[in-house]
Amino acid sequence: MAQEKRILIVDDDPDYAAAIEKILKTADYSVSLAGDVKSGMEQIEKEMPGLILLDVMMEKYDDGFNMCYDLKHDDRYKDIPIIIITAVTEVTGLKFNPKTDGEYLEADDYVQKPISADLLLEKVRRFI
Amino acid sequence: MASKERILVIDDEEVIRDSCTQALAKVGYVVKSAENADKGLELLQSFDPGIVLVDLKMPGKSGIEVLEEIQAIDPNIIKIVITGFATVSSAIDAMKKGAYDFIPKPFTPEEIRVIVARGLERRQLLLESEALRLEQERTRKNMISLVSHEFRAPLAATIQYLEVILGGMAGDISSEAKEMIERCDIRLREMLELLGRWISLAIFDADKLSENFKDINLKDLASESIDVLKSMAEEKNISLILDSPEDLPTIKGNKVSIGEVFNNLISNGIKYNKEGGWVKISLSEADGYISVTVSDNGMGIDNEHLSKIFDEFYRVDGRRNAPVKGSGLGLSIVKKMVNAHGGTIDLESEIGKGSVFKIDFPKVFESDNSDKKEEDR
Repeated sequence: MAQEKRILIVDDDPDYAAAIEKILKTADYSVSLAGDVKSGMEQIEKEMPGLILLDVMMEKYDDGFNMCYDLKHDDRYKDIPIIIITAVTEVTGLKFNPKTDGEYLEADDYVQKPISADLLLEKVRRFI
Repeated sequence: MASKERILVIDDEEVIRDSCTQALAKVGYVVKSAENADKGLELLQSFDPGIVLVDLKMPGKSGIEVLEEIQAIDPNIIKIVITGFATVSSAIDAMKKGAYDFIPKPFTPEEIRVIVARGLERRQLLLESEALRLEQERTRKNMISLVSHEFRAPLAATIQYLEVILGGMAGDISSEAKEMIERCDIRLREMLELLGRWISLAIFDADKLSENFKDINLKDLASESIDVLKSMAEEKNISLILDSPEDLPTIKGNKVSIGEVFNNLISNGIKYNKEGGWVKISLSEADGYISVTVSDNGMGIDNEHLSKIFDEFYRVDGRRNAPVKGSGLGLSIVKKMVNAHGGTIDLESEIGKGSVFKIDFPKVFESDNSDKKEEDR
């Protein structure tokens, strides 16, 4: 049975996005894709997604970071759950767990590329 | 014509202060003076001079002490000592404490101008080389960030696709194809792990790490690590044992790094071990040190490898089809991290019997500990 709300994937790597999309569609989610922050925001304004999978590093290294911050500080969108996807953690120095020291994104969860289908779906199911 | 460089003169004799000021101001330097060490050091902070002229013999705090303090504040400030009795030993002593040059009393205005000009040339060089060093460091770090992303992204995308295919989400595949794709998956994941370790090693900055040290509890970190590796150990029926007093004192350090040290050593103890073996982590307090021992009853390592085991890329079994895969980077990172905490690490091992890694962390961290320790070895 298809979920009502969509999952929006914002990632500039079309291959990675396609692979994740396949996993999600196989589990009966409806998915839309955006290749950068701008088209991501356009999609969100057009139709509120039920969950956003957001790549931290796109064209500029802190693109995803900034988009996450903007969404979480916007009354219209702050309640949309965001899962951060990242290929790099230690180099950018971004920590995602609010319990550890240092900066943290106000994201709801994070996944590291690559991720097993089971783990991804487990995390997604918590939100949608 | 001299630019508006700032010169500070510290001398208890008014005559010297005035003659220096006059001689140097004449050619355009901005000069301030102080009659004793304390006033001089205070003025140093607000005036921010490029050159300091210091009288070696002053009542109260001596010129040598002033030299030491200025060196600690900013080694790029050029220090020139003014000495009443130009004995070789006092000049040498001053140079050892960081003085660039010395000028014996009495001196002519021209002599002081010449020595200051030379001092400023040296300062220029020091500032340029420091700027270059910082630039180099920034470029290196940028390059590493760039490279890491450029390598990781395609690896991640490829492995992710394989995950989809192997999960049957892209239709049926022959069992032959499945086997080959599984091999691809394994090889690529090895590559991703190696990349991760290489990057950790490349960006490791001991100084930056120690700037942000906090109190850490080694016992807690050891048990967290054991929790993380429990399932890996269970696969081979290996017991993970923690032996530690309840009230071990904390040390200053970086939680993530020490966590990695434990993860690395314990997972090695599991990987290079047989079914039903054990890995034991013992913590104890000694005089001035906290000792951490990670031992196992696994394969052990032959004597010939022991001196090189912590070298980057060194692998005991470097064959492509070696039964246990290692990147050769894990232990070199462990050593760097331990050293960054002022600690030392040693290995004792016997083939077929097992290995014992022993780490000593000083209870009190001093930033030049690790250099000293390495020299002593």
